Amino acid sequence: MPEIFLKNVSKHFGRVVAVDRLDLQILSNAFVTLLGPSGCGKTTILRMIAGLETPTEGRITIGNKVVFDSDHGINLPPNKRDVGFLFQNYALWPHMTVYQNIAFGLENLKWSKNDIRSRIEELLAMLRIDQFENRYPSELSGGQQQRVAIARTLAPGPKVLFMDEPLSNLDAKLRMEMRAELKRLHRDTDSTIVYVTHDQQEAMTLSTMVCIIEKGQLQQYAPPLPMYNNPANLFVADFLGNPAMNFIDGHLTGDGVLSFAGLQARFSAFNAVTLGERDVTVGIRPEYVRIEKDGALEATVYSTLPSGMETTVKLEVNGVSLTSVVFGDVDFQVDRKVRFSFNKATVLFDRESGRTIARGALTLL
Amino acid sequence: MDEARTQRIALNRIKGKTLAWFSKPANVILLVFLLLLAALTLYPLLSLLTETVTVHAGREARAAKQAVGDLTFYHFQRLFATQENEYSLIQFYEPFRNTLLVSLSASMIAILFGGTVAFLVMRTNLKYVKFVSAVFTFPYIMPSWTLALFWENFFKNVNIGLKTSNGIMAAVFGVYMPEWFVYGGFPIALVLGLHYAPYAFILIGTMLRNMDASLEEAAMILRTRRLRIIRCITLPVVRPAIMSTFLLVFASSMSAYSVPVFLGSPVRFYMLSTKMKSLIDSYPGQAYIIASVMILLGIVILLLNQRVTSSRKHFTTVTGKSRQISRIDLGRANYPLAILLVIVLLLVAVTPLLTFAMESVIIKAGDYTPGNMTLDFWIGTNLTERLDQGDSTGILLNPKVWNALGYSLGLAALSAFVAGTCGILVGYGVAKRRGSRLANVVNALSFFPYLMPSLAFGAIYLAMSSRIPWLRGFLLLALVGSVKYMPFSSRSGLNAMLQLSGEIEEAAVITGVPWWKRMLRVVFPIQKSSFLSGYLMPMVSCMRELSLFVLLVPTSNTILTTMLMQYSEKGWAQFGNAINLLIIIVVLLVNFIVNKLTGASIDKGVGG
Repeated sequence: MPEIFLKNVSKHFGRVVAVDRLDLQILSNAFVTLLGPSGCGKTTILRMIAGLETPTEGRITIGNKVVFDSDHGINLPPNKRDVGFLFQNYALWPHMTVYQNIAFGLENLKWSKNDIRSRIEELLAMLRIDQFENRYPSELSGGQQQRVAIARTLAPGPKVLFMDEPLSNLDAKLRMEMRAELKRLHRDTDSTIVYVTHDQQEAMTLSTMVCIIEKGQLQQYAPPLPMYNNPANLFVADFLGNPAMNFIDGHLTGDGVLSFAGLQARFSAFNAVTLGERDVTVGIRPEYVRIEKDGALEATVYSTLPSGMETTVKLEVNGVSLTSVVFGDVDFQVDRKVRFSFNKATVLFDRESGRTIARGALTLL
Repeated sequence: MDEARTQRIALNRIKGKTLAWFSKPANVILLVFLLLLAALTLYPLLSLLTETVTVHAGREARAAKQAVGDLTFYHFQRLFATQENEYSLIQFYEPFRNTLLVSLSASMIAILFGGTVAFLVMRTNLKYVKFVSAVFTFPYIMPSWTLALFWENFFKNVNIGLKTSNGIMAAVFGVYMPEWFVYGGFPIALVLGLHYAPYAFILIGTMLRNMDASLEEAAMILRTRRLRIIRCITLPVVRPAIMSTFLLVFASSMSAYSVPVFLGSPVRFYMLSTKMKSLIDSYPGQAYIIASVMILLGIVILLLNQRVTSSRKHFTTVTGKSRQISRIDLGRANYPLAILLVIVLLLVAVTPLLTFAMESVIIKAGDYTPGNMTLDFWIGTNLTERLDQGDSTGILLNPKVWNALGYSLGLAALSAFVAGTCGILVGYGVAKRRGSRLANVVNALSFFPYLMPSLAFGAIYLAMSSRIPWLRGFLLLALVGSVKYMPFSSRSGLNAMLQLSGEIEEAAVITGVPWWKRMLRVVFPIQKSSFLSGYLMPMVSCMRELSLFVLLVPTSNTILTTMLMQYSEKGWAQFGNAINLLIIIVVLLVNFIVNKLTGASIDKGVGG
């Protein structure tokens, strides 16, 4: 039973198409991330589901309730959709204390004073901000404001939660911490979460499903790890993963011989597909470019970025630059020669359309 | 040996620190303006205070039975504690009460009217929004007595006030309004409220426009009803704007002079400002006490305002990314509301002009038939032979009028140039050294002239000029105009500077561009329209200023506004109305041309 259902939803701002005929199915209890570069329409999608924005056309259902249908003139206001929304800048009311901020929504629902108090105490304890009850938002740090905003959103116990880049205003350390807490929150509250972000790592680590959007169009909708390994196209492959995937222009002959970066290799696809002769882009994840003593190939070290846990190495092979990730606290001398090999999967993309042709292994000739 | 060395090091350090401090233009600017503003505002204030305890020549010396120039507390005793003939009550306590009531009501009217229209324009799908926001600032651009004169012209009748003639309402429609409606506290508060409503419209409107929409959306998601959102979220968030409107309107209404002259004097309704004017010739000491009380009131309001806005409930209007504010659908109320608003605005902003035009062409007051009309008061000659009063030529053929117009324009231009330039510099200095004590003091000093009632300000400078021989005529007027209107410029200058990130100037510093070039080539062009608005406000205000200059002009023919005053006092209504219309047209024209050429506008000048 799908919890949220978008059918053929479009949004136009004047002549600009922000969202183009989007179909999306969000299952109950899912943690779905809308991921994409800024201006791709992901926030607009979220705001349309929440009712803060009116779609130009299409149909949206939440649970069994049709909340928007352009054909039938249905458009429920946000307060009738029974959802929670966490804003990027928290949107805490500056003139209310932490307690008043959280109580406000419960007062609207005509909760009794005692119920409100016990609910707020429960939330404050859960988010570990009990000592700030009587402070004003301006007297809290960013992380504390964030927690208050979460408490305010959770207070009425909505079954569907929308979050619009809620961690983007926090510093790196706090962001990591809040990520873990959001994931825990998802489990503890048994809710469906739709989450907007432009941070691929956030999407990878948090969600059960990732929805990648570009220029208002859905690129791929899949669980994070399968999407990482089986990107639908070049855009998705490029967007996921840090450091980004290596892309090398190459040519594929009809009999499966791939020439790229001055190398010749046989490409054997994992699935049965007809490859056909064409120009391709070869995609190799940095962790599959293995620097090892008995590697089959030789490269020059261009630069190294050791971080302690792993080292990102830029290599140069026949004038083509390659990124490699080596795990552990190792470093390399710049301008020295190293040996390396391609390990595990390689993805071939059609150069013209950017679409994925096949995933497979390389055997050097 | 060692001691000498430590001393030398200490000396070098002080020298280094001093040099570093003076190498920053912002510091030098602040220091210069600290001295300048102290001389131009604190010195007058001190001399005002000394005047309150000094015996002046004439009737005052005789009444106090003391020698001229002596220290005395007679003025205080006389003004505050004279039971005899209810002197204190009439001279001080009643005007004081009237001033408080009128200023409070005017503030309320301005906030309610301006705020409501700002809300309708910014937050609903009201029709004719463009017209409404364009015409709404009209009453502010026009001289404040415009509406007062219009009110009197329109509603006066032979049963009330000076009982001279019938206005349009009585003459044409036969409706005789009661006295309280035409003269006294009610119309004064209403006229001032309407005149200053643009402050509310601009300040509250800007706040509403910049307000983070997600504050309201968050409430909407939490199932809040529309009215509760407005009451519990929107209003509290715009409260700082409401408070600063209150400060501005209260201070302005309190020191307003021309409106209570037109609408109060005929029924002996006095405010502190008019009382001060009536006392200043015979009992200057008491007049100066009244001026001090007005300044004190202004300071109290300013402090109150600061307390309210700088509380724990820190207000920021950070714009989130949800810029599209959801507008309230007015539904079927839309057109009636829009049309009502347009009618009210036409009444307030356009009909006054029509009545002035009308009053300037009728020969015999109160008779609005075509046979009674003539253009003689504008372009006639040899009028003395045909009419028993007034000048011999119409105002457009009268060289005195053209001279006064030229003088007014020159004065306004020079004052605007000085005030505007100083305002930018003060804004620059304060913004660069924000938070430092020096910046705070200079900022407060530059706002101070606003709290000084114009009339008192003029009086003080008059007293000052008697001691400084070269400070006369045009120079004196320009100096007074510059200082009095600098608060507008420094506010818009500061706002513009705060919007500009420091890095923009620092990028030029790194490449070694000298300070004056950075200002002219980098800072000024980026915030051009805001800065130019800082010139426009003093220009417009100066053109239509009366009370500030009335004591200082060499002759009443010097500038247009005092000329108007003179004609009104002589009862030459047609000439007066014609000159009034001329002033309004010139002011509107200046505003329009500057706005079209540079993009500067009154809105930005008020701090929007």
